[in-house]
Amino acid sequence: MEFVSPEGLRLDGRRPTEMRQLRAEIGVVSKADGSAMFEMGNTKVIAAVYGPREVQNKGQQINNDHALVRCEYSMANFSTGDRVRKPKGDRRSIEISLVIRQTMEACIMTHLMPRSQIDIFVQVLQADGGTRSACINAATLALADAGIPMCDLVTSCSAGYLNSTPLLDLNYIEDSAGGADVTVGILPTLDKVTLLQMDAKLPTNIFEDVMQLATEGCKAIANYIREMLAENTKQLEFRRDS
Amino acid sequence: MAAKPGTASTTYSPVDPTHKTKPSIFTDSDWVRPDSRGFQQCRPAFFRTGAVNSASGSAYAEFGNTKVIVSVFGPRESKKAMMYSDVGRLNCNVSYTTFATHVRGQGSDNKEFSSMLHKALEGAIILESFPKTTVDVFALVLESGGSDLPVVISCASLALADAGIMMYDLVTSVSVSCLGKNLLIDPILEEESCQDGSLMIACMPSRYEVTQLTVTGELSAPNLSEAMQLCLDACAKLAQIMRSCLKEAASAAEE
Amino acid sequence: MVGLSEGEKEFIKGGIAQDLRSDGRKRYTYRPIYVETGVIPQANGSARVRLGATDVIASVKAELGKPSALQPDKGKVALFIDCSPTAEPTFEGRGGEELSAELSSALQRCLLGSKSGAGAGIDLSSLIVVEGKVCWDLYIDGLVISSDGNLLDALGAAIKAALSNTGIPTVHVVAGASNDEQPEVDISDEEFLHFDTSGVPVIVTLTKVGKHYIVDATSEEESQMSSAVSISINRQGHICGMTKRGGSGIDPSVILDMISVANFVSRQLIEKLDSEISAAEANEEDS
Repeated sequence: MEFVSPEGLRLDGRRPTEMRQLRAEIGVVSKADGSAMFEMGNTKVIAAVYGPREVQNKGQQINNDHALVRCEYSMANFSTGDRVRKPKGDRRSIEISLVIRQTMEACIMTHLMPRSQIDIFVQVLQADGGTRSACINAATLALADAGIPMCDLVTSCSAGYLNSTPLLDLNYIEDSAGGADVTVGILPTLDKVTLLQMDAKLPTNIFEDVMQLATEGCKAIANYIREMLAENTKQLEFRRDS
Repeated sequence: MAAKPGTASTTYSPVDPTHKTKPSIFTDSDWVRPDSRGFQQCRPAFFRTGAVNSASGSAYAEFGNTKVIVSVFGPRESKKAMMYSDVGRLNCNVSYTTFATHVRGQGSDNKEFSSMLHKALEGAIILESFPKTTVDVFALVLESGGSDLPVVISCASLALADAGIMMYDLVTSVSVSCLGKNLLIDPILEEESCQDGSLMIACMPSRYEVTQLTVTGELSAPNLSEAMQLCLDACAKLAQIMRSCLKEAASAAEE
Repeated sequence: MVGLSEGEKEFIKGGIAQDLRSDGRKRYTYRPIYVETGVIPQANGSARVRLGATDVIASVKAELGKPSALQPDKGKVALFIDCSPTAEPTFEGRGGEELSAELSSALQRCLLGSKSGAGAGIDLSSLIVVEGKVCWDLYIDGLVISSDGNLLDALGAAIKAALSNTGIPTVHVVAGASNDEQPEVDISDEEFLHFDTSGVPVIVTLTKVGKHYIVDATSEEESQMSSAVSISINRQGHICGMTKRGGSGIDPSVILDMISVANFVSRQLIEKLDSEISAAEANEEDS
């Protein structure tokens, strides 16, 4: 199947290094301490953060000097094209929960909040490739909205390699084509990588290109998220003054 | 278990499940119910306490073909994982035997009925009288013959009384089906399968309070108030039967 | 979990007794309702309804299936509700299942009517394609994103909005199939049939706090309730379903009184919802 046309356009009309449209909204769940919705094209996720608060289940607390970070990923029944009713806590969800938790734990300054717990819940409303990345981006925004101290933002983006072309931000059709899929999460200011996942195989020199592309994508998302947060802060300031 | 005297033969006659009566005949004015009852006549009710020896309290109820056994365990210590609670907990579970229905069922738990039973009973039990503990109510439908849930609720409250759990009042429950223009009390399975609407009430007759009610399907406002009144009257009568059953058991124990 | 001090509890109860609730509403006033349709493009119909801080999404998906042997002239409808942990941390893992099951069965009772089909909000016979062979199976999924009380009313409204947003593709049956074969069907990509949702009832929940009852309770108010009755009423003022929650008993005359109040409130709610839905649909077409 041809994923890049001779004119250099992808199936959804994007250029190979073009990202899908980003859209974010802060404070979508008013009851939560922090929340955000993040859209990458048709992929749409909501993240809600509760905490820091007292540890609910003392048995889970391993390290007394650091906050306990927990994460649960769930998919809505209607999020995929074919309606499937999955039981909660299948392997894929557990794996993604773990990935998100570890990624977020790396940027949260857990040592500032001993004996407390932070819950991150991500809910996928629509899945069209790149849910992992979208969840991480939404979680970053929600954590920032909740005012949880972080050493940096975490942003994530995926890139793939199909028809001998590196492609940024794969959608579902491109993702399921069987080519390599590299998901990268970075701390943009510190310029560090916190998440790197890849399936399938790639020659080392091509992998470097693809990863470079994904990192560029992460940086673009970081700029967008910063803008969103600045805008949100301005609005909060405006509301306080009025 | 014997049925009340005066009823027709109680020998079990299996009904062919493929045989379905057309609903149209139900709207006829001269139509009679399959068990030749009047529209506002309940099936003869039979209750007996102490059906299960190992339980703290138990009861058996038989309304026509609907046969239910309920056992109550506790109050006993709540599970370790439960948080501290200064009022007691009520745990209800309704399940069907594999042979309860015409088609051999799975014999699985009925979650919806379990939660309905819980809601119907929790208002009547004085939960403050047994803090930190749990009362388990297990209901088993031996044979499903229509109006299963109301029978389960009434039988469960009798079993709770038998177990000596403190209650404000006995809970009795009756349902009414609406078929065309007619209101039928205590419907059997065939009537339930073609009803237009139904109302189920669980109440505490002496306190004249409704603990649970559900309406399924369309009912007009005057029909609804008539159906409610029918249910409440039947509930009051049912409570007398249940009370006499408890008294009988108590006097038998004294002898 | 709502943690309230004794003073706050008294404040809520006192406000309700004086017909001035903590957020300034009267006893029978709803919070503003916001409806957004077409939020899930992958579904046949979808809607997001916000009632104050309560936020729910409903989606309708239609799939071709086989009608059941008992009712060969009717389609099938299945209804599922999920509670996302984003709404409440206690819904994490299997924590939300109990509430989900309760909401699903209450909505099923209120919207799908009785076994004979009377009182159903959805005309099941309109879902049939070939009698006894092919029909549409409707899957209605609800998702609670944020909860601040009165989930049942919000879900009911969201499902109503999602159904009016639903387009079911027209199906052409390929002629010439013999009687016992499964007929071949051709699903159109362009022509859609819309549902007549004027018969879909709305759900009004009356929450009893102290001696009085209120509509559209917030979760703070719900924590103070003694019992709540959810009544689903259609445009004609007929009752299509009713359930009660909460432990304590209610006097039967109070229930009849509640029904007449619900009847009155439902008329305003239906009107409000209809205008919101048509505004949302117009909005969706513009964008």
